[in-house]
Amino acid sequence: MQAERDISYADVNRDVVRSLVETGSKYYITLAISVSVMLACFFAPWFYQLQYGIGAAGMNHPTVWGTYLASFIFWIGLSHSGTLLSCVLHITNSSWRKAMYRSAEAMTLFSLMVAVTMVMVHLGRPWFIHWAVPYPNQMELWPNFRSPLMFDVMAITTYLTGSTIFIYMGTIPDFAAVRDRTTGWRHHMYVLLSLGWRGTDTEWHRLGWAYTFLAVLIIPLAVSVHSIVSWDFALSIVPALHQTIFAPYFVVGAIYSGTAGIVTVMFVLRKYMNFEHYITKLHFDNLGKLLLVLSLIWTYINVLEIFTGWYSGTSTEYEAIRYKLFGYYAPLYWEMILFCAVAPLLMISKRFRTSFVPMLILSIAINIGMYTERFLIVATSLSRQYLPDAWGIYVPSLVEISIMVGSLAMFVTLFLIFVKIFPSISIYEIKETLPEPEPKTQSESGAPEWQPTL
Amino acid sequence: MATNTVGLFDAPATALAAAGELKGAGFDATSIISPIPLHGAEKVLGEKKSAIKRFTFFGGLFGMLFGFSLAAGTAVLYLHPTGGRPIITLPPFLIITYEMTILCGILATVIGFLVSARFPAMRERVYVPEAAVDKFVVSVLCSDDEHDRRAEEILRSAGAEEIRRLREED
Repeated sequence: MQAERDISYADVNRDVVRSLVETGSKYYITLAISVSVMLACFFAPWFYQLQYGIGAAGMNHPTVWGTYLASFIFWIGLSHSGTLLSCVLHITNSSWRKAMYRSAEAMTLFSLMVAVTMVMVHLGRPWFIHWAVPYPNQMELWPNFRSPLMFDVMAITTYLTGSTIFIYMGTIPDFAAVRDRTTGWRHHMYVLLSLGWRGTDTEWHRLGWAYTFLAVLIIPLAVSVHSIVSWDFALSIVPALHQTIFAPYFVVGAIYSGTAGIVTVMFVLRKYMNFEHYITKLHFDNLGKLLLVLSLIWTYINVLEIFTGWYSGTSTEYEAIRYKLFGYYAPLYWEMILFCAVAPLLMISKRFRTSFVPMLILSIAINIGMYTERFLIVATSLSRQYLPDAWGIYVPSLVEISIMVGSLAMFVTLFLIFVKIFPSISIYEIKETLPEPEPKTQSESGAPEWQPTL
Repeated sequence: MATNTVGLFDAPATALAAAGELKGAGFDATSIISPIPLHGAEKVLGEKKSAIKRFTFFGGLFGMLFGFSLAAGTAVLYLHPTGGRPIITLPPFLIITYEMTILCGILATVIGFLVSARFPAMRERVYVPEAAVDKFVVSVLCSDDEHDRRAEEILRSAGAEEIRRLREED
């Protein structure tokens, strides 16, 4: 990555610290709105549901899973590009990652938090959530590790822990840089967060190794997390869900929606945090290429899903496909195809990929399509199972729709808090992409100059 | 109490050259403090080895054993026969094993990082705030005034724009 104007090391420190300490009225207004929407649309309906029971949601036989689980898959999926993409680009030494990875990782973290909350909302009695955690207890109650739901608990706990550690560890040098330029409570907070980082050659060496090991561990972890989420569905014997393609299908879908999410976040950061010089057309171009490839793979798997259903020759699979393509939810299916398979083809054009507003619109459209995909996975399969007399239509209730909107507000709120605590772009890695400073003073001894391989 | 003589440089190349000269002159306790990782530092100051990889490996190994024992132990202690299938069923238990391997590997890596980089710092150490912005600092531990003078001479001749003397808490 090469910045568009001549930026010095000191400029990078100043710009990032400014993004943390200078807060305009627009920020407070946005925060107030998102907190209000979160309280009104997420927590209020949830408390209502807790009081009156899970019947407040529209889920009922045969569709006992609804938008809560669709939201759960969506948010887990959205979490997939951040840390995963960051790890892959770190290992492959891609310098364009450096301006955007911090926010992408934050996206991972907050999406995961929202996803976990969606599981709580889905539970009829969330106060018994600790029963899913293996610990000795007087009831001699231990979780059943043969259940995919337990795989989920283990995988998501590991992913949340790994992502939190990965983003924190990569930010330690930046906390130290910010520590020196802040005062008051912020200074104390950064003193604690930076752990006493000084930037010695030994510290950089240790950080480099630890960071690379974490990246290597997190890549297979991220792939396993969404595979396991897919097995929540694929290990059931419901037509259209019981498919071996589900794990790669979910993983590709997750990376796809996550990458689209990064584009959205990058646009917002660039525009409203004044990072125009750091997040450039190059980033949108590269993300656009990645999105295009992912959309083609995603489309291929969708076609394959229909083909294998048809090729199976069983009446239940035929009906599942027919219902998905032409049944009650068909408009949603074709909307998904339009947003996720057809519209992304626009990114073949470089002009489109390097245009900020069209990329923003497309990234939002892709995520709407991807949310629809998750909804369809749950709704179309459960509402048409083996017995025609047990068929039924699922329509989300107002409580469910409200919580769906509120979960978005929760994500925005968490992200808004993040941008004021964490440096949203990596100070030291941006510096690595800048031209190396030239010596101003001449060496008197004429000592041979070492050429570091930066 | 030992004194650290530090020289501030405005470019990595001159800082590395100064560190190389100090090392050549017999100053073993030389380090570079920089705003970015300097990959040439190892060439000058000698190759570094860290124990982090061992932490990761043994953490992962512990996690693998712990994960499988957790799943298999639970199944054996709380029998839940289903359809004549084996009590210890490998495919699902391997998933738990896999996740615990990674979780413990990650946690051990963090512990390895904290131990080997000596974090969190519990006492004041040599630090130059400009090194977090745009200065490349060469720090050398000097036992007496004579050493101090020699180090300063080398740093100045290598092009240091400023020399400071800092004391480190014991």
